[in-house]
Amino acid sequence: MFFHIVLERNMQLHPRHFGRDLREKLVSKLMKDVEGTCSGRHGFIVAITGIESVGKGLIRDGTGFVTFPVKYQCVVFRPFKGEILEAVVTMVNKMGFFAEAGPVQIFVSNHLIPDDMEFQSGDVPNYTTSDGSVKIQKESEVRLKIIGTRVDATEIFCIGTIKDDFLGVISDPGANA
Amino acid sequence: MSLTADSPVHSSSSDDFAAFLDAELDSASDVSPDQHEVENEEAEGEEEVEDEEGQDEDGGDGDDLDDGASDSSRYYKILCEAWISSRGEPAETSGASLALDICSHPGVMGGMCIRCGQKVENESGVAFGYIHKNLRLADDEIARLRDKDLKNLLRHKKLYLVLDLDHTLLNSARLADISAEELYLKDQREVLPDALRSNLFKLDWIHMMTKLRPFVHTFLKEASSLFEMYIYTMGERPYALEMASLLDPGGIYFHSRVIAQGDCTQRHQKGLDVVVGQESAVLILDDTEAVWGKHKENLILMERYHFFTSSCRQFGLKCKSLSATKSDENEAEGALASVLKVLQQIHSLFFDPERRDNIMERDVRQVLKQVRKEILKGCKIVFTRVFPTQFQAENHHLWKLAEQLGATCSTEVDQSVTHVVSMDAGTDKSRWAVKEKKFLVHPRWIEAANYLWRKPLEENFLVSS
Ligand SMILES: [Zn+2]
Repeated sequence: MFFHIVLERNMQLHPRHFGRDLREKLVSKLMKDVEGTCSGRHGFIVAITGIESVGKGLIRDGTGFVTFPVKYQCVVFRPFKGEILEAVVTMVNKMGFFAEAGPVQIFVSNHLIPDDMEFQSGDVPNYTTSDGSVKIQKESEVRLKIIGTRVDATEIFCIGTIKDDFLGVISDPGANA
Repeated sequence: MSLTADSPVHSSSSDDFAAFLDAELDSASDVSPDQHEVENEEAEGEEEVEDEEGQDEDGGDGDDLDDGASDSSRYYKILCEAWISSRGEPAETSGASLALDICSHPGVMGGMCIRCGQKVENESGVAFGYIHKNLRLADDEIARLRDKDLKNLLRHKKLYLVLDLDHTLLNSARLADISAEELYLKDQREVLPDALRSNLFKLDWIHMMTKLRPFVHTFLKEASSLFEMYIYTMGERPYALEMASLLDPGGIYFHSRVIAQGDCTQRHQKGLDVVVGQESAVLILDDTEAVWGKHKENLILMERYHFFTSSCRQFGLKCKSLSATKSDENEAEGALASVLKVLQQIHSLFFDPERRDNIMERDVRQVLKQVRKEILKGCKIVFTRVFPTQFQAENHHLWKLAEQLGATCSTEVDQSVTHVVSMDAGTDKSRWAVKEKKFLVHPRWIEAANYLWRKPLEENFLVSS
């Protein structure tokens, strides 16, 4: 799920940046520092959308560096248990498959793949129904449900399932081939 | 913590919503302790400030939920929707407790059960780091997967083949160890013959040079139609992946089946425990027997491929390396070509349509044994000046090897003897062999038979006096 929230970060700036464009310097450094990172609590910071406030700088003794508390608005992405996501399959093996929804990696084990889908080894490993009508392979797009999430300081990892109504392949790269 | 007191969340009229937020945010409590709301570029010495989700400066009287004017209220709205939808299915706790009763937690990835998604603390089971850095599977689950996979594989008329890298499929040398005689490989690439150039790689980023063994591409292509293949190396993971991409640039042979040193469950040993393949259907190609302590019966020992001088030196070989003599193993008659024939033979014996036994109960190790016994079938061997005196002849590895290759061994000469294996042409038995027109061969003849999978020409293994 995406959220638009306000976060705060203490930014340290070298004195050489002090001047007319101090604010721009702060903002560009902030973007570089936080966009694409993962905060354990809020999920992935997708993009900064605005600056709420820049607080009073605090000079650090002995270094000349100044710390500014910056409040910024940003879009974050964080998956929740029970959430339905669309994801792209990245790897298929006999234990299940891995998929990615943006920065989030999801594993769907073969326990949570419908029983009528069998693993097929070979040049392009895949899970296929016995009649061959549905196939999951690398690059397939699938709709899955999150049943577990683990959010670390730098990454989000989920366990997912496609063993439920309306879940499974939504586009099959092999279909056009 | 200074801002927490002011946080409007706590003054919000919507207590349920606040509770929802807390619950959602706490659901991330598996997380590392990095829970400070305000991130500091440098943690020490900084005051911790909590900003909570308190963006709704108006105190959340409910009305702004509808106006959607400010970003913070829009955020609130999204959260509200999340809250409402989550009430339909409170998956966090009750769903999990239901599953707890029935789930045996067959495997754990990233601290969560791969089947029910519950958090699982227990770190038992076997690690499958080459699939995912945090994957562990319980023994029952591995057995289930193996059984299921074997059925599937046999239906496709395939077996498993585990391949070692160094000295089996290729030879690598550190750039720093390239000798003066070999500099032409590095410095005169343009003038190298095509066959050499296309199989020789200078990998600056890992400071290595790698030469693929002649015939390896044909070997992999042919073998892939009969076997599901694994790479299994004592090298480290980045090296293993680099080599896999040289051998399999199209990514069709190995996929995620690349096992490296860090994946072994026992030090200095390679085990089939991390291979999702039933042992009765696995063949192994490796130049080092000692690492396969538990799986010698699955092993086809490979003659070492030494292309680089440093490789010869490493194994204490005095002879010139292939690179120094600007030569290479014969493509059509080299080790990989001959072992491919053996693999094909074993495969066709295993899947022989004439066989009446249950295919699930067949054992490729038995087939391997049987094929090996054909190599020196009909030979009767007497050894002289090969074993140390006092040595119990039947326990010597050459004696055992000769028997595995189908020969009969004896300590006494008689007319039925066909070969006298000797280190010294001057012994009584050696002289007897010459007089009786029996073959007199060096012990290397037996080792060669083991590598070549056929009876080697005796005149190439004469005994010097
Ligand atoms: Zn479970």
